[in-house]
Amino acid sequence: MRLMRLMRPMPPAGTKASAPTVSVTVDFDSSVQSLGALEAAVYRLIGIATCQIERDADRFVCHLTSKSASRTPLTGVELKERFLEIVCDENLRLRVAERTDGMRNVILALAFGSLASSQGS
Amino acid sequence: MAKFLPPEAFSAAGDALSLLPFNFERIGSTNEYLVANLVGDFVRLTQTELDRLVDLQLRPGDGLYERVYAAHLVTRKGQQSQRQLLALRLRSRMSFLRQITPLHIFVVTLRCEHSCPYCQVSRQSSDRSRFDMSEDIAQRALDIAFQSHSPRIKIEFQGGEPLLNFSLIKEIILAARDRSITTKKAVDFVIASNLALLDDEILTFCKQNEVLISTSLDGPADLHNKNRPRPGGNSYDLAVHGLRRAKEVLGPDRVGALMTTTEASLDRVDDIIDEYLQLDLDGIFLRPLSPFGFAIKTKQYHRYDIEKWLAFYERGLRRIIEINRSGRQFREFYAALILSRMMSDRPIGYVDLRSPAGIGIGALVYNYDGSVFASDEGRMLAETGDNTFRLGHVDNDEYSSLIMSDRLVEAISSSLTQCAPECSSCVFEPHCGADPVYHHATQGDALGIKPLSAFCARQKGVMRLLLEILETPSDAAILRSWAT
Repeated sequence: MRLMRLMRPMPPAGTKASAPTVSVTVDFDSSVQSLGALEAAVYRLIGIATCQIERDADRFVCHLTSKSASRTPLTGVELKERFLEIVCDENLRLRVAERTDGMRNVILALAFGSLASSQGS
Repeated sequence: MAKFLPPEAFSAAGDALSLLPFNFERIGSTNEYLVANLVGDFVRLTQTELDRLVDLQLRPGDGLYERVYAAHLVTRKGQQSQRQLLALRLRSRMSFLRQITPLHIFVVTLRCEHSCPYCQVSRQSSDRSRFDMSEDIAQRALDIAFQSHSPRIKIEFQGGEPLLNFSLIKEIILAARDRSITTKKAVDFVIASNLALLDDEILTFCKQNEVLISTSLDGPADLHNKNRPRPGGNSYDLAVHGLRRAKEVLGPDRVGALMTTTEASLDRVDDIIDEYLQLDLDGIFLRPLSPFGFAIKTKQYHRYDIEKWLAFYERGLRRIIEINRSGRQFREFYAALILSRMMSDRPIGYVDLRSPAGIGIGALVYNYDGSVFASDEGRMLAETGDNTFRLGHVDNDEYSSLIMSDRLVEAISSSLTQCAPECSSCVFEPHCGADPVYHHATQGDALGIKPLSAFCARQKGVMRLLLEILETPSDAAILRSWAT
């Protein structure tokens, strides 16, 4: 029987016994890193850490603090690594969205909008 | 002169391709991704392959081109067939919206002779006049139910224990059958009962009127009786006897049972499944507790978390697959619902697996006192003082005023997964759903913060497990047979 999980379990809804918090700071060049992707990454991380984003000259500075009640306590290195992975994925999502939003709208219009009725006729 | 052009003449250049919409999610800590197209067909890609896809570094014959083309992740510029196909499939998947309010739940009484600590409806044990639905309210509720535009409706009787007010059930069924003839609207009936009060007279009436029976069975006698106490401590005996009699009289496919997972169930999943097998039931619905009613008051809901439930569920599901491998057909119904979403484009009306949410437009609940709620869980919340999902009253409202009420429109529109943070880019979104009542109850917000949501954790956990099992061909064949 294979017990390997397909993906990393998502942060659970409940809380467990407190673990010590860790804090790390990660900064990005604001000329190449979008704030939207950082905010989306922070949202995804909300179950295990909080994050305050500050603008410092040409840098976005992210102050990450793990939640003491998290079920999956992380070291500072792990927290930073996890955050960077999520930011990387969010950047990719933005790129995909930029290139596919128009097509998505066409498909939705074909399915439900005025194009649907014109197709029918 | 060559008769044929060279192979490259038939190749599509990368710049002749364009991306189709898709979502993705990193698989564990590896550099692999689960990618799903607009209608939720999954494909696994490495990080390199995903980068090549996004950059359209693809050539016919390179293997990746064929995989992503077949998965509707890229299309040729100017080609219409793929987007038309995706639109068609999307329209089919969302066509549950054409069946407006097919389910109407009548809470004919809030009284119950059981005293289950996890009861989600806050049953009452006394005062018949106060907690039973009156004939007038029932007739007005029927007026509203028959105003819904669905050509086929289902009337479900709930409680409390609805058989405590069986005389009203009879009246409603007979009146509904008369209206069915005049309105040409088909009607199905279900009684959700603990079966303790079931007798031959009730069964004969159910047989004559093609009434389905749904009951609760939490497992073996000791577990069931612990979860579902009643005077005499014989809930299990009565439920099992009622189940057997109902199957004899109504037919085996006219009776179903549901279980609820309590803390005491967590290490008993094999026993629970065995109980269902012994009763010759065709499957089981492994359900977690819901955060409503007495389940909150008695703190039952907080006695286990979603991780424990998922472990319980995984053990149960793998056991059920083993049972199927041995030749016995037996399904886990929640997995079957999700597999139907994953493997077909048929619309699934199940309220937890749809967005827009099924509140109101999927079901209306007529409470014993005439209040109308957007869902069964909504009336459960009301019994603990939260009237957020109360849409109106049978005396003051018509079907249209309930369905078009600002309260319902706001709850549905504010909980759409298609445009919710995280959900809108979630690889599982095409197979998931909004659950505004759950998120209102647990987070005070109809949309909810999904990274903190146990509902989200459950959906993702179950779907990840199913995808993992689908990688084993023999097990995949079993799961595919459930997706009917």
